[in-house]
Amino acid sequence: MDPFIPIMVILPIASALFLNLLHKNDRTVKILAIVTALVLPIIPLLTGYGSHYFGGYAPLSQNSAIAQGLPSLITGTQLFIFHPAITYVFASAQKVMIFILGIIAFFAVFTALNETKKPSGVYAFLMFMGTASVIAILLSDDIFNLYVFFEIAALAQVGIVIASNVKHNYETALKYVILGNIAGPLLLLGIALLLGVTGNVNITDIIYSIKHGLVNPQNPVLLMALGLITFGWLYGSGLPPFHTIKSALYSKALPHGAALIQAFTVFMMVALGVIILRIFSYLPFSKMAIIAVSLLALVLSITMAIVQTDFKRILGYLALGELGYIGIGLGLGTTLGITAGLFQAVNEAIITAFLFIGFGTVLYKTRTSDTRKLGGMMFKNPRVALLVLLAGLAMAGVPPLNAFQSKLMLIQASLQAGVPELGIIMILLSIVTFMTFMKAFYTIYMRPKPPELVIHDYKIPKATIISLVAFLIICLILGLFPQIATSNLQTLASSLV
Amino acid sequence: MSIYDLILKRIREIQGKTEEEEPLTNISASSMLTAEITLISSILIALIMVRLINKALMIVLVIAVFFIALMITPIMPKLIREQNDSFNNMIFYIVLALGILIALFYWGNLNV
Repeated sequence: MDPFIPIMVILPIASALFLNLLHKNDRTVKILAIVTALVLPIIPLLTGYGSHYFGGYAPLSQNSAIAQGLPSLITGTQLFIFHPAITYVFASAQKVMIFILGIIAFFAVFTALNETKKPSGVYAFLMFMGTASVIAILLSDDIFNLYVFFEIAALAQVGIVIASNVKHNYETALKYVILGNIAGPLLLLGIALLLGVTGNVNITDIIYSIKHGLVNPQNPVLLMALGLITFGWLYGSGLPPFHTIKSALYSKALPHGAALIQAFTVFMMVALGVIILRIFSYLPFSKMAIIAVSLLALVLSITMAIVQTDFKRILGYLALGELGYIGIGLGLGTTLGITAGLFQAVNEAIITAFLFIGFGTVLYKTRTSDTRKLGGMMFKNPRVALLVLLAGLAMAGVPPLNAFQSKLMLIQASLQAGVPELGIIMILLSIVTFMTFMKAFYTIYMRPKPPELVIHDYKIPKATIISLVAFLIICLILGLFPQIATSNLQTLASSLV
Repeated sequence: MSIYDLILKRIREIQGKTEEEEPLTNISASSMLTAEITLISSILIALIMVRLINKALMIVLVIAVFFIALMITPIMPKLIREQNDSFNNMIFYIVLALGILIALFYWGNLNV
């Protein structure tokens, strides 16, 4: 067992607790937050692949000392291979996703500490708690443990919005909490039904029970559990009908907070989507449902993005629309499709963070996100404008940037799977995404500055520019060398087919 | 007045919020038109996938949706109204989605 596996979760939680305690000590908060954020993406690179069993309780089949002398009643049955402990699994796909999440968390924290006058220990606490929760969700092979961190991640998102001091933030946070109070317990009910039928909360053991006939795969309670878990997945991912509240949540957070929240959403979507595929892929309807919901997310979110006038809301809806691409990849159910979906998730997390922080500079200089009141920002910040334009091109899937590769893979996967209609819709909506972005870009940067618009002389912090350049470099690297990510993600994809 | 409305009223009082009226501009009109065309074309293309179940059903659905779309256009203003930040709308669609999901998963999986 590699000790670094639990450290990926324990370190940000411990740091978050200290940051909360040290709230008023600005210098200490800044140093501790930066050091922790810097370490976050490094740990997955140093960690060896494998499993971690909390409490050291490995399955009996892997623990010869305890297994010796046990009666055949235990050694001859599935009890011998079942997982008694909460198990975390770290493999190549987790490595890529936790690394990318760590990078986004680092730049979000880095930007937040430099854009705000006084570093807030509480805000940093929420950012790290959310990051730790999503890392745990990615690692956990225990569905109940996953649920606990799912709820913590949801609360951390609400906390980030409440701490943002943006107009109407309390109202949006309250709505999200109330809707979470419907979806969260239903997800838990689904997990309870799964436990009731299989007698297990370990995902690998649940799959074993279903595949080896220990439980009836067509058991109606199991089907009900799938429905409830899918409903929880919709809430966690901000897929319809939760897309309106999720986009509102993004728009009520500060840009660095929104950049991090969207990364949480993307990786929660992937983690729960993969679990649904792992457990229920034997039901053809599960993949059809994933595709249907993803298509709905794609069409509804992007059409809603076009008609928005608040650039944070535009980005929020575009980010949710991009989730549809990930879902289509997962729903196709082929190795290429799932790899493309996972790669799109990695790309989307980076690009949307890039866009939120990039457009955040407009908010920083003007204190408004209403595109009707904005204009002429190109003359004030030509370099930032160029970076934001490149981020928009990346989101639309323009080569040689990263989303081009993942979207091309998704279209190829849809053609291979015999559903070219999905490919056509993805191309059509990529064009509309680009048009929506260009509309926002034109109104903010290119049209003449409205006379009543006040542009403050605040200098954009260097940390923000560094973050934008770093995101651009990552987009270029993943666009030019996609195999860096896809070779790692393909292993997980192959195991799901 | 429900408890939720009371809480919201209180928050608005604390924060001194007011609702803004949105003016109609050329950009907003052209955006709406683009959204309308995108929505209808995406639905029509998606419906072609019904061919995997039944080709005749696909033809009937595509023609029916095409004519329905022509008759009820513009759809986007209605869709925006339904997808606003109203808590009642959100709850309605969430309960509706839960019902559809459970019904489809339960009977869909048993019968597909």
